[in-house]
Amino acid sequence: MNVLRVLLAQTRANFLWYFMRDGEMIFWSLAIPVFFLFVFSFAMGGGSTQSTSTFLVPGLIGAQVLSSGFWGVGAMLATFREKKVLRRIYLTPIPSWTFFSALVLYRMSLLALQALVLAIVGGLVFHVHVIGNPLSIALILALGAATFVSLGTVIGAVVRSTESANNIASVLTVPLAFLSDAYIPIDRFPAAIANLLRLLPSTQFIDAFRGIAMYGDSLAHYAVWIGILCLWAFAGTAVSARYFRWV
Amino acid sequence: MSEAAIAVSHLVKRFGDVVAVDDVSFEVPRGTIFGLLGRNGAGKTTTLETCIGLTVPTRGTVRVLGLDPTKRAEFQRLKWRIGVQLQATSLPEKARVSEILDLYAAYYGVPPRAAEFAERVGLEDKLDRFVGKMSGGEQQRLALAIALLHDPEVVFLDEPTAGMDAFGRRILWAEVERLKAAGKTLVLTTHYIEEAERLCDEICIVQAGKIVARDTAAALVTAHGGSACIDFAARGFSLDPSLENLGRWSQKGERWQVFVAVEPGHALGAIVSHANALGVSIDDLDLHRPGLEDAFIAITGEALDDDALAGTAGAAA
Repeated sequence: MNVLRVLLAQTRANFLWYFMRDGEMIFWSLAIPVFFLFVFSFAMGGGSTQSTSTFLVPGLIGAQVLSSGFWGVGAMLATFREKKVLRRIYLTPIPSWTFFSALVLYRMSLLALQALVLAIVGGLVFHVHVIGNPLSIALILALGAATFVSLGTVIGAVVRSTESANNIASVLTVPLAFLSDAYIPIDRFPAAIANLLRLLPSTQFIDAFRGIAMYGDSLAHYAVWIGILCLWAFAGTAVSARYFRWV
Repeated sequence: MSEAAIAVSHLVKRFGDVVAVDDVSFEVPRGTIFGLLGRNGAGKTTTLETCIGLTVPTRGTVRVLGLDPTKRAEFQRLKWRIGVQLQATSLPEKARVSEILDLYAAYYGVPPRAAEFAERVGLEDKLDRFVGKMSGGEQQRLALAIALLHDPEVVFLDEPTAGMDAFGRRILWAEVERLKAAGKTLVLTTHYIEEAERLCDEICIVQAGKIVARDTAAALVTAHGGSACIDFAARGFSLDPSLENLGRWSQKGERWQVFVAVEPGHALGAIVSHANALGVSIDDLDLHRPGLEDAFIAITGEALDDDALAGTAGAAA
């Protein structure tokens, strides 16, 4: 059971070293989404901030899932390689899946915290009610985190320099959030474009998450999209496993 | 057990057009300390990194404890049995010393002994310090501690005292001697003559990717340093055939140096009477017993570090 102990110890260390002790990180991952919730709710809400916020809270959490994978893990791995952190870990006998699972678990716990903060602020200020089944919400959030972290590791696997990894991460995260039903309702786009955008895994994840959390839909209702997300997660993991370089 | 701890055979490593390691072969017997000595860029680190699986050889083979680090399964088994202090590495800045030591203990499934290992490397009062707040030398000592937590059979140290102060060097040297007493095999790279001379049972001198000499420090000095080194400044001095036979000469401006192959007193007499015959005065004459540094210069035709080279050039100017 040593592997399990290592997994937990590494997850805890990641949470402590890269989140709790990093003021900038706390600001970007907790304060900024709340700030966006206020700005977008008032800017887009018009007369009914409640329905706008009900749309935005899961959208903002979904955007954090994307950024968690592309920035938080993808760009971080490239930085770790360049700063020669990875080579030291590579020389230890822990299996590589332990290292990656600990990154995923760290990101999942951070996302749970972010989701909680947004839901509480949304509830107190904008009367947003989360009515979904807590277990279903946790499962779809975990699946989203696993999918986008695994896609993020592809960046970390393929891109050599920290700088290009950062650029790719921002090019993916920011436009995707706007195109994936996170901030702007997708049906404001022309129907043909909206249909194309629904093919994006980010749209499928955010819509499924919103439906399950805010409108009480069941997981089964999104079975197809969930299946597709699993395929993306699997493909991302396979590509990373093939191309990832420790040194 | 008679098998060598490390066997490197005809190792070649190219990076693009650059040949970093050029047909290097050596064996390291168990329980000995093996040093790769050379200037920066000579190929020491690349050689060491192929032994620990960080670099894949272009040609040639490497075996450590009989295992091939380029084969996944063998490398995995090897990781449990080697300890590595890398020159080029970093640990997370926001981690505390005690947390790093405990996490690495968990990696190897050994009981956490952070306090004990911190003390071994002189960091006992820095257990709560953040890695990012420590000096380079302190980080190097922490890197040494995590290399030793699991009591490895073979320890690789890449420029272990680079950037360390005198205190750090003493700690590292004491630790190396302790490991040797415990029967461990050590491989270290260095560009410090004193470190190689003091610690290593056997020294490989590496130049431009090749091993140019390999022996104990004492044997290298005897074979390449000659019986004495005579160093003097004399304006207008020149050699004649009988002087040339005294040993290996080198000249920089007015400054002459000879590694004497014959009896030192005889050589000194010959130089002085030749200078008198030329009507040349000798200033600043020095006769000393050659050390490893002299042997290094004799073998490679270069000083070991740029400071020493600048010193020689300055003296000649």
